[in-house]
Amino acid sequence: MHKWLSGETRRGSLSWRRAVLGAIVATGFLAPVGAQALPAGCAALAEKYPDWKGKTLVNAINPHTPGYESIDPKDPSKYVGFDIDLGEEIGECLGFKLTYKAVTFAALLTTLASGQADIVISDIYATEERAKAGDFITYSKVFDGVLVAKGNPKKITGINTSMCGAAAAENTGYVEVPLIQALMPQCKAEGKAEPTLQLYDNNANCIQAILAGRADTYVNDVNTVDNAVKAYPDKLEKAIAVTIPYSVGIAVPKDKPKFREAVHAAVMEIYKSGDQAALLKKWGLDPNNLMEPGLLMVN
Amino acid sequence: MSLFAHYLSLPYLLQGIEVTLEVTALGLGGGLILGLILAWMQLSRFWWLSAFARGYTVIFRGTPLILQMVFAYDALPHIGIKLPAIIAAGLALACNEAPFIAEMLRSGVLGVDRGQVSAGQALGMTPSVLLRRVIAPQAIRTMIPAFGNESVSALKNSSLASVIAVQELTLRSTQLASSTFDFFSIFFASGLLYLLLTGAVSLIQLFLEWLLDLDRAKKDRKFADYLPWRRVDLVAGAEPSQEATLDAVPAPEVAILPPAPTLTRDERTKRAVTIARNNIAVEVSELRKSYGAQAVLDGLGLTVRIGEVVALLGPSGSGKSTLLRCINHLESWDSGTVRVGGRRLGFRDDGRLLSPREVANERASVGVGMVFQQFNLFSHLTARENIAGPLRWVHGMTKIDADRRARELLDRVGLSHRADALPRHLSGGQQQRVAIARALAPNPSVLLLDEPTSALDPELVNEVLEVIRRLAIDDGLTMIISTHQIRFADEVADRVAFLSGGAILEEGPAHEVLTNPKYPLTARFLSVMEADKAPETVR
Repeated sequence: MHKWLSGETRRGSLSWRRAVLGAIVATGFLAPVGAQALPAGCAALAEKYPDWKGKTLVNAINPHTPGYESIDPKDPSKYVGFDIDLGEEIGECLGFKLTYKAVTFAALLTTLASGQADIVISDIYATEERAKAGDFITYSKVFDGVLVAKGNPKKITGINTSMCGAAAAENTGYVEVPLIQALMPQCKAEGKAEPTLQLYDNNANCIQAILAGRADTYVNDVNTVDNAVKAYPDKLEKAIAVTIPYSVGIAVPKDKPKFREAVHAAVMEIYKSGDQAALLKKWGLDPNNLMEPGLLMVN
Repeated sequence: MSLFAHYLSLPYLLQGIEVTLEVTALGLGGGLILGLILAWMQLSRFWWLSAFARGYTVIFRGTPLILQMVFAYDALPHIGIKLPAIIAAGLALACNEAPFIAEMLRSGVLGVDRGQVSAGQALGMTPSVLLRRVIAPQAIRTMIPAFGNESVSALKNSSLASVIAVQELTLRSTQLASSTFDFFSIFFASGLLYLLLTGAVSLIQLFLEWLLDLDRAKKDRKFADYLPWRRVDLVAGAEPSQEATLDAVPAPEVAILPPAPTLTRDERTKRAVTIARNNIAVEVSELRKSYGAQAVLDGLGLTVRIGEVVALLGPSGSGKSTLLRCINHLESWDSGTVRVGGRRLGFRDDGRLLSPREVANERASVGVGMVFQQFNLFSHLTARENIAGPLRWVHGMTKIDADRRARELLDRVGLSHRADALPRHLSGGQQQRVAIARALAPNPSVLLLDEPTSALDPELVNEVLEVIRRLAIDDGLTMIISTHQIRFADEVADRVAFLSGGAILEEGPAHEVLTNPKYPLTARFLSVMEADKAPETVR
C-alpha cells in the first residue's frame, strides 16, 4: 500500500510508460496507474468476469471538480483526482483500460444511455430519478458544503428558509437544484421572497457567480467547496456543511447487468483492501466519506 | 492575469485549436456540399425537389445548433449510427450551415442579371455552360463577403461542440479554468486565440476579394486598397474616368466606320424583287400567348424571307418584344407555330418540347442571334471575351480562332481599341456595338434586335444605327428589328409591320406604310413618334 502511494514508484513507472504511450497520452488518453499491488481478490474477479479483459472502455466525466476529476494543471493532457484513480483501479482489477470523455454534468447519463460511454465515474449522486437512466454502484457518502461570499453577508445556514430571497448558483442537473426549488413554497408560506436559481454548466462558473456578486450561495459537495475556499481564501468561505440523503455512485448501462456485477465486485475489493480510504487521504478528501459499496437500481 | 502569456502558448490549448479547426472545416466543407445540393434543388424546375429543400431549410435553420449537435451525438446511436464526437459535431455543423450557405448561393445566382442569362441562352449556351461561364463567376464574386461571414460564424459555432465532449478550444479552456481556478487569464487567452483565427479568415476573405476583382488585371487595384483604413471606392474607384469622358464623345469613333451607302429608289425596288424570290427564313403563324387574362400575342402571323429586314413598330405592350423572344424560343407560347429555316425551334419532330439543354443546342445550330435593349453583355468579361467566349463554349472554336473572330468583329463595329475593356467601362453605345458583334460572331442566319437603341442617350443612338444599317445593306443579313426610330426604319427596313394588341394591324413596304398608313391607329402612332422625337440625324 505504501509502496503504491510512494511518489517515486509512480514517477518511475510513469516515465517509461510516457515514452511508450507519449502519443496516446497527448490525445487525452491516460496510462493506467502502473504495476502496483492490486487488491487480493482481483485475480479471482478477472477470471470470473473475463469479458472486459484487454478492452478499452470509455468513462464519461465532468472534469470540473478538482479533487475528484479535473485536468492536471501541470499536464493538461491528463485527468486526475479520486474518481480517476478509483476508475483506473477498477479497470486494472477487471483487466480493462479507460479513456475519458469530457461532457457537461447534465450530459453524463445521456452520454451513457446513448452508448457513447461505458461507465460514468464523476462524483455523481445516485438518486432514484437518475437510476432510471443507469444502474448505480454507490461508493461514497455525501456531505454538502454551502459556499458563500466572505463574511456570509446573507447569513445563509443551509438549504433552509435562510436562503429565502437569496440567489443560488447551481450546476444544471445537480441534486441540489430540486432541494432549493422545494424551498420556494416554504419561503412563500412564511411571507418571504422566494430564492432564485442560476443554472450553470460547470463548477467554475458557479464559483465565478459568487465572486462576481451575481449569486449569494453555491451548495455542492463539501470537498469541492473546500477547494474553492482554498483557491480564494479572501473572497469565499464555507458557511456550513449539510448532510444530504444520497450516496455518490458509479453509473453503468442498465442493459449490462453482468458489467454492473463485475464493477460492484471490484469496488468492493478496493473498499475492503483499504485502497479506497487511502485514495481519500491522497486527494485530501474527508475520510468520513468512506462507505461500503452498494447498489441503486430502479426499473 | 500573470499567466496570460503562459496559457497563450500552452500546447493543451493549441491542440484545442486544431480540433476547433477540424470541426469548422468539416462543418464548412460539408455545409458547402449540402448547400450546393439544396440550392440546386431550390432552383430546380421540379417543384417536389424545391419543396423538399424548403422543408429541410425550415427544420435546420429553425432549430438551435446545440440541439442538432446533441442529436447527432446522442440520438443517432439509437438507430445504430455511432459517430466519433468530432465527426458528429462536424455533421451537425454541416447540416446547420447548409441552409445558410444554400441561401447565399441562391441569392448569388438570382442576383446575376436576368438579361445576361437571356443573352447566354440566345447565344445557344446550355444551362450548364451558362452556370459555369456566366452565373457562377459573377455569383461567386458577390458571395465572398457572405461566405467570409459564414466561415467566421462556423468557427465560433464550433465551440458548441464542447457539449458533446469534443476537445476543442472552448471545452479545453473551461476544463483548464476549473482545475486551476485561473478563470480570466485562461478566457482572455482563448479569446485572443479565437480572434487570431477569425482575423485569419478575414484576411483570406480580403485576399480572395482582391484576387477576383475584375479591375485587378488592369493593375488599378492593389491588395492594400482592401484594408479597412484605405478609403477607396471599390466599385467606382477603378473607373478610368478620363477614358470614359473621351468615350462619351461619339463623333470621332463613328467616323472610323466608313459611311454605309444609302439605297436609291431603283435599288430598293430591285432589292425587293430579289428578296421576294428568296426562301423563307422565319415563319410565324397563329401565335398566341397570354399572361393570365391578358393576351400578349393574339394569333400573330409573320413571314420573313432571307435577306429581308423587317421593322416591327407599335406602342409599348403591343407584343414586339414577346414576338422576338418567341422566335428563338426564349419564351414559350400557348398555341401557334414558329419556324426558323424550316425548323420548329425547341420541339421534337413529334411536336413534344425539347429539354432546355436540347433547345440551347438547337438555337446554336439554327443560328438565331439576338440583340437586347439593355445590351446584356456579360459584365465580368472584357469586350473581346464577350465575343470569343461563347464561340469557344458553344461552338467549340479554338482560342486562337475565337480571338481572331472577336478581333475582326470588334474592328467591324469600330471598337478594336476597347477589346480589353470591361462592359462597365464602355459607354452605352459601345456596349450595344459589342453586343451586336457578339450576336454576329457565330454567323447567325437571322438577327433579332429588340429596341436596340431605346436605352441609349440620344447622342449615342447613331453609332449603333450605323452598324445595323451596314449589316442590312453590305451583308444582306436577315433581321427583325423592333424599334421606335421611324426614320431609321424607313431607310433600312424592307418591310414594316405595325403591331397592336398582339397582332399585326398593318404591314407592307416600309416607305409605303410609313408615309401612307391605311389605319388611323398607325397614322396616330406615327405622328406621335415623329412629334416626340426630333428628326434623327440619320443619313
